[in-house]
Amino acid sequence: MIVDRIINWARLKSPWIIHFNSGACNACDIEVLAALTPRYDVERFGVQLKGSPRHADVLVCSGPVTIQQRERLITIYEQMMEPKFVIAVGTCACSAGVFNGCYCVEGGVDTAIPVNAYIPGCPVKPEAIIDGVVKLLGSLKD
Amino acid sequence: MGLALFYILIFPGFLFLGFLSLAFEFIDRKLYARLQNRVGPPWYQPLADLIKLAAKETVVPREAESRLFRAIPSFAMAATAAAFLYIPIWGKTSLFPFDSDLIVILYFLTIPTLTFFLAGWFSSSLYAEIGCIRAMTQFFAYEVPLYMSLLGPAMLAGTWSVSGITEFYSSNPALALCNLPGLIVAVFATQGKLERVPFDIPDAETEIVGGTFTEYSGRFLALFRMTIDAELVVASALIAAVFLPFFIPASPVFGFILFLIKVFIVVFLLALMRTALARLRIDQMVGFCWRILAPLSLLQVLIDLLVRGVLVS
Ligand code: SF4
Repeated sequence: MIVDRIINWARLKSPWIIHFNSGACNACDIEVLAALTPRYDVERFGVQLKGSPRHADVLVCSGPVTIQQRERLITIYEQMMEPKFVIAVGTCACSAGVFNGCYCVEGGVDTAIPVNAYIPGCPVKPEAIIDGVVKLLGSLKD
Repeated sequence: MGLALFYILIFPGFLFLGFLSLAFEFIDRKLYARLQNRVGPPWYQPLADLIKLAAKETVVPREAESRLFRAIPSFAMAATAAAFLYIPIWGKTSLFPFDSDLIVILYFLTIPTLTFFLAGWFSSSLYAEIGCIRAMTQFFAYEVPLYMSLLGPAMLAGTWSVSGITEFYSSNPALALCNLPGLIVAVFATQGKLERVPFDIPDAETEIVGGTFTEYSGRFLALFRMTIDAELVVASALIAAVFLPFFIPASPVFGFILFLIKVFIVVFLLALMRTALARLRIDQMVGFCWRILAPLSLLQVLIDLLVRGVLVS
């Protein structure tokens, strides 16, 4: 019981993220990087950017899922350790946005892997990304 | 027997070292954040990271050498904790001082680097292998200057024991000033040993994913992180004992507070370096170590030889 509570607390306080571009136009990626700069200081919430999917807890995914990237996205997702969460950043990641119906696009991120939080915007503001992460963590509390 | 267990497990062994390394990881990260003009992590951050990692799923890749993959992190942690037993914490002598324990500490501090290499090698992953080869290349570059920079002060003091060196310099504080070049070399080499910016080439996440630890997850990764934090404390404490042996009071309590202050000073220098510099390429790093640090540490040896000659005659 108390051990579970401590573990849950630790999980909420230390979400390490990994960033993956599944076919975005790159604007969302720039915004994700901007959110990680000292100006926004996400380390306040314990967020750290990790290079390896084995270390990360949260997959921050931007862009629509293209046919080519689909397999890679699933591989990356499967390489992550449980418990893991996915955040779809940008309108494209939520629903394929302007690329919907394009010959090479499958759809939003949730057509390939389960998604825990959607952050719309084209591109999303860094504030919105941080807000989304914090809200996701808040929803995990109970 | 009971007392020995207490020394090894609680104070100044695993528990105390673990506490100290979490505290200094926080201090290091907070300093880094403040130097970058941000707020930085809350005080419980290292603890939360550790618990989270320990509670996460742990996977051993199918291609990896399973038994070694699991055993290596414990070796790394044990070696670092063993080194800590021989460093003076509250006064001029350590718990179990013996002749030439400086060399033993240095050897113990070498083991983590070797385990990083083996960890990368046995994970059988491309990125981990690149990372571990880089770790080894870097190791050959910084290790020689580090040893030589510690050799100088030891020669001047005429003893190989850390406690003896601390004793010698605290009775002749002026002589410690001769060791300034050695201090500079030791701080740079320690930064390389801890694989931090600018020498974080073995786990450069923008180039080679997670470097040596790419395949490590869960509690094994937690152990490795603990090892690196503990190494930070042990290496800083060693530098503090050899190069900054000033004003050591007789009372153990004040001695301990002074020890913390000195370690803090070294950690501050390391954090400053981490903030101010950017990652080097591996060839630049090796060049820097052999062209600048090695001659500087030779100079240190020369100075100490001359001063000792003057003293003895
Ligand atoms: S949401 Fe807009 S900015 Fe983001 S990837 Fe799609 S088109 Fe680009």
